[in-house]
Amino acid sequence: MATKNLPFANMDSALHPAGRLSLSRATVTLAVMLVVHGLTKSYAGPRPRAVFAGVDMELAPGDYVAVMGESGSGKSTLLNLIAGLDSADEGSIKLDGTELTALDDDALTALRRKRMGFVFQAFHVLPYLTVAQNVALPLSLLGVAGSEADARVAGMLAGVGLSERGASMPRELSGGELQRVAIARALVHGPQLVLADEPTGNLDAETASQVLSLLREQIKANGAAGILVTHSRVAALTCDRILQLTLAGLRELTLQ
Amino acid sequence: MRRRRFLASPILLLATAALAADDYPPVVAGHAMRFPGDAGAHPAFRSEWWYITGWVHDADSKSFGVQVTFFRNRPRVAETNPSAFAPRQLLFAHAAIADPRYGKLRHDQRAARAGFGLAGAREETTDVWIDDWSLELVDDSYVAKIAARDFQFDLRFSSTQAVLPQGQQGFSRKGELPANASYYYSQPQLAVSGSVAVDGKGADVSGTAWLDHEWSSEAMAAEASGWDWTGINLNDGGALMAFRMRSHSGSALWAGGTFRGPGAASRSFEPREIRFTPHRRWRSPRTGVEYPVAMLVNLGSEEYTLEPLMNDQELDSRATTGTVYWEGAVQAFRGDREVGRGYLELTGYGKPLKL
Amino acid sequence: MHKAKVYALQVVLAGSLAQNKARSVLSVLAIALGVALGYAVQLITGAAVNELALGVQFLSGDADLQVRGPRSGFDEAIYPKLARLREVAAASPVVELDAKLADRSDTLKIIGIDVFRAAAVQPGLVADSADRLDHLRSDTLFVSPAAARSLGVDVGGSLSFQVALRAVTLRVAGLATADAHQRFAVTDIAGAQENFDRLGRITRVDLRLKAGVDVDAFRDRLQAELPAGLAVQRPEAGVKASESLSRSYRVNLNILALVALFTGGLLVFSTQALAVVRRRAQFALLRVLGVTRRQLVMWLMAEGALVGIAGSTLGLAGGFFLAQAAVRIIGADFGAGYFRDLAPTLTPAPLPLALFFFLGVVIAMLGSLAPALEAARAPPAPALKAGDDERAFARLRPSWPGLVTIAAGAIASFAPPIAGLPLFGYGAIALLLIGTLMLMPRLAVLMLSIVPTPRGAPSRLALLQLRGAPGQAAVSLAAIVASVSLMVSMAIMVASFRISLDAWLERVLPADVYVRASAAGDTAYMTVDDQARIAALPGVRRAEFLREQQLLLDPSRPRVVLLARTIDAANLTRQLQLVSAQMTPAPGAPPPVWVNEAMVDLYGFVLGSVVEIPIAGKPTAFTVAGVWRDYARPQGAIAIERERYIALTGDRSATNAALWLAPGAAVEQVSRAIDSDIPGGSRLEIAAPGEIREFSLKAFDRTFAVTYALELAAVVIGLFGLSSSFGALVLARRREFGMLRHIGMTRRQIGAMLATEGATVTGIGLVAGFGLGWLISLVLVQVVNRQSFHWGMELSVPWAPLTGSALLVLALSTITALASGRHAMSARAVLAVKEDW
Repeated sequence: MATKNLPFANMDSALHPAGRLSLSRATVTLAVMLVVHGLTKSYAGPRPRAVFAGVDMELAPGDYVAVMGESGSGKSTLLNLIAGLDSADEGSIKLDGTELTALDDDALTALRRKRMGFVFQAFHVLPYLTVAQNVALPLSLLGVAGSEADARVAGMLAGVGLSERGASMPRELSGGELQRVAIARALVHGPQLVLADEPTGNLDAETASQVLSLLREQIKANGAAGILVTHSRVAALTCDRILQLTLAGLRELTLQ
Repeated sequence: MRRRRFLASPILLLATAALAADDYPPVVAGHAMRFPGDAGAHPAFRSEWWYITGWVHDADSKSFGVQVTFFRNRPRVAETNPSAFAPRQLLFAHAAIADPRYGKLRHDQRAARAGFGLAGAREETTDVWIDDWSLELVDDSYVAKIAARDFQFDLRFSSTQAVLPQGQQGFSRKGELPANASYYYSQPQLAVSGSVAVDGKGADVSGTAWLDHEWSSEAMAAEASGWDWTGINLNDGGALMAFRMRSHSGSALWAGGTFRGPGAASRSFEPREIRFTPHRRWRSPRTGVEYPVAMLVNLGSEEYTLEPLMNDQELDSRATTGTVYWEGAVQAFRGDREVGRGYLELTGYGKPLKL
Repeated sequence: MHKAKVYALQVVLAGSLAQNKARSVLSVLAIALGVALGYAVQLITGAAVNELALGVQFLSGDADLQVRGPRSGFDEAIYPKLARLREVAAASPVVELDAKLADRSDTLKIIGIDVFRAAAVQPGLVADSADRLDHLRSDTLFVSPAAARSLGVDVGGSLSFQVALRAVTLRVAGLATADAHQRFAVTDIAGAQENFDRLGRITRVDLRLKAGVDVDAFRDRLQAELPAGLAVQRPEAGVKASESLSRSYRVNLNILALVALFTGGLLVFSTQALAVVRRRAQFALLRVLGVTRRQLVMWLMAEGALVGIAGSTLGLAGGFFLAQAAVRIIGADFGAGYFRDLAPTLTPAPLPLALFFFLGVVIAMLGSLAPALEAARAPPAPALKAGDDERAFARLRPSWPGLVTIAAGAIASFAPPIAGLPLFGYGAIALLLIGTLMLMPRLAVLMLSIVPTPRGAPSRLALLQLRGAPGQAAVSLAAIVASVSLMVSMAIMVASFRISLDAWLERVLPADVYVRASAAGDTAYMTVDDQARIAALPGVRRAEFLREQQLLLDPSRPRVVLLARTIDAANLTRQLQLVSAQMTPAPGAPPPVWVNEAMVDLYGFVLGSVVEIPIAGKPTAFTVAGVWRDYARPQGAIAIERERYIALTGDRSATNAALWLAPGAAVEQVSRAIDSDIPGGSRLEIAAPGEIREFSLKAFDRTFAVTYALELAAVVIGLFGLSSSFGALVLARRREFGMLRHIGMTRRQIGAMLATEGATVTGIGLVAGFGLGWLISLVLVQVVNRQSFHWGMELSVPWAPLTGSALLVLALSTITALASGRHAMSARAVLAVKEDW
């Protein structure tokens, strides 16, 4: 059973318990952006393997959660399901009230394009485009061009500290810088949700910590929610909450 | 030797007599021989030859035989063809040396069609040539120039006696049918002078030779398979000639002969008066054919023994004509005494001459 | 450790070969195609030329020298003069001619000999027979076994020949000894003269010299004494002359086959180059594990060699069967008519077999060389980082080597022929091609920057990526540019040729009806009576007659054609297509002749010069009054006024007639009249200009069928190359596609991006290929064709078919790109984002 961790709960302690409850419910109705309920996924094949069953999660705008789990527990699968790149066996995923499992591929793609951003472990920066062109990628997909796009790109580059590297080619950048480009790309179009899959897996400890704090900072600054999949405690601690994914579902963890 | 394949010998051409010789003029009795005209070619007749055989000796008194023969043949093909190449007259030539030093005959042959001045036989007198081989009657002498592969002749055969017509004034019968006949005369006791060069070594020679000039249209009877012939220059200045036509079984179908004593008139013999009896045979190691190389020849009551200069005087022209024959220098003996020298020709002992 | 290394190598490399089964198979097929075509051409032409040489050797026997002259023969009075020369051991006169069979379109070579003379010089010609006199008869033939077979005649049968317009029948008396393929018949020389209207003439005298005579010195002395128009030479020189006629054509075919092979090699190169790039991370890992540079290079070359071996083996087998089929269907000369009397067997000699095998392997290995060297040179560490691929093509950047090569090619195109072959021309084409390929990266960058950036996201993305990685584009471009340029150049050349030929035919066929005594052979002609009857036919307004002869001007060259015809000097352009100014000889100057372009190239018969032409054995001076275009006689042709020819030779016969019809008269009517009113008229060939044009163009198309096939092969290979490189690219970028799917590109959008990439690259390739192709066609037309066949042509670009093909190629390549990308758009691709490589 997952308990809901309410956003800003620590600020709400002054309110009447009963009122708090009704306020919470009201807050839940207005503020929860992502609702995952009863998500079940298993892989078919000669030896069907269940990945997880009955996963529930709620995310409000501004929430930054970490999802931890052993390797093979399905963390990336969960991300793919939320992103609409894969389909669940059972359960529902609602983003702002829109039921994702009911949408077709084109609709999912359109939704993903507009409302989500991604950061990968292997950076996946297009090698033949400049840094600026890479960051502008989501914008160009959304049809935002010209000066508005340039301004937003410039802004994001400034935000990740790569203002002078706009015209450089990716091969001239270090791993850490490339991940920063990825972060910029993930947020340039103002998504509601940022999904990061082991973003520091290919980085050394110092760069990793820089990237993590930058990621958190940019997610918060742009008012997005974020899900960070990681196996690193250090990375998980940069988030507001930590969830553990097992076969049985998501369970909140407290780490110290 | 493929190269020589088509140098046909006269024997073949005689033998390939066409079945109907009507377009060749017939040989008839009563034709008077006129010279020098009849010394030349008679192109209308099927076959003709000028045949010189002789004994010569060089400065060391080494004796050997020489033979020069020119044949003319009218094949009766392409006679209406206006081309200058038309083979209206074919010419062949043989030359041979019979020298015991070599053990067998050294010989060479030529063949060509008459034309372009390269080969021909004139009608006016004896003048026959093929490229650089020639035989020409100049005044009273026959001049023979032969440039063979390994030997050369440059010989002069000078006439010392009158012409000897054979048969009846030159009408020489060869068989039962009157058509089987030839016009035939000889020039015996020709004095030979000149040079013979063999393998590059030349020598002046002198001696005595015999010329036969014969032309005919259908000399050979159907049953004949070959003949034997001999022409002897007698040491006393006389001359004798004898021949017989043989059948397939070897018996004589016809025979003839002439004897002329020194300064006397010639005498012709009837067929029954001529007899050839083989005296000794020799088998060729190359062809396996057996020849009676030594013969007893009877002319009337006279008997002569012919002994060859050497056994192996076989002329193998199978590659060209399909015939082998024996053409050799012989000595004529009466008893143990040599009375003359000449040549003996034996044909048809291998395969019979095919018609 | 070493063993583990090798094992690792093998696993990695074998794995990738197996992985790329489809692409490996394509490379093997491409090499196989090139080798097959080259080997087939080599087999056929080699066999034909060999047969020719053997035949000449056989027919000339032991002859040391041959005296030859005009094709119709020379005065036989020369023969005894030659026979009497002191150095001559034997002289054999020959009348040789190509006799047309009556009522059949075949010809048969007839050799008339004197058996007695021939026995001394060419004993092989004297055959066995039952009746020896058959060798002397005027009406008998000895046919070679091959001739008997092909004419369906046996000993005892008969053959009829067309002489003038009559039929002459000869009896087959026996078989001539000959090797299995020569078609000829032997007859008596007197018979040959009489039967074929050659009285007084012979065509050749073969001489065997006495031992010890210096052949060449004697030949020079004798040549100086021979009358005009006769030449004395060794028999082998005759082979050279015959084969030189077809040599240019054969060399052209060989070059075309090499081109196919080259395109195959290009395919291997592009496949390997991209495969190597894709596997750089693997190679880097191997290098880190301890595999040396040399080992890596050798293994990669071994990959190429494997492809080459498989391709060569397949190609040799295929080439053999192709050659068999071709000889059966279109003849040993590919329909061009050079080797009509031969039926060569194709025996695979070891040398050409080995040559083409190694050619295929070498080209495949060469294709792998540059990529292999590149893979080995790259420092291991950076290769592990994604996005480093562009470094692989950094070396293609400098442009001066390409420009220098192109300049060298341009200069080479002005060079003269070597031994009658346009070797510099071919070299120029190779240099232009290689130079352009070297410049492709620069050109690609240039063209990409000119193309306007599109609005739509997928195509925009495609273009931006292309601009960012011009080197990668250049590699896929190589195959397209090469094959497109070759296709375009050949298409332009063939079209130019065809159009020029068509225009020429129209010009030189002004009359209404054309009549000729026979299509081939020397024996058919029209007598004076025949000509009078034809001219008097109802419906014929005007008749002009032409006599064709062949003269020997240079014994080491084929004979030159002499055309004695009616010439209207005032209106010459109506009869001949002049390419020079027309001049009239000054009064007192020698009379005029008009020569074709080949005479200028080969014999230096330039406009205005005074030349000596041996006619009827006498050297006669003429002035060259004009040069005309001629596609029928690359050996040279001279047109002379018929009256002058008759005055010099007394020969009033004619081989061709041109008839102008009265108004209202029809061709069929005249044709029927010829059949019925003229004795032997049914043997005349009658054609209207339209029919002749159609027939000639069909012959042209047949001759160029091989070229068309190779053009197609070039395009197909280019497309294969494209699909191969696209496939490799897509596979290399599947991580990116996964990422793009994450970012929100639909499958269709990714497809559109790939299609745009494919279309852009192909478009650039087409533009460059067209430009290069046009340049190459210039060289082909002005240099290669001119030097090979000595005729010029007007350049004409077949815009419609070329544009159509270009659009087709564009469409096909777009589809190819889409098909290659299909995998990239599958669901599985999405998971690729997780892969390290």
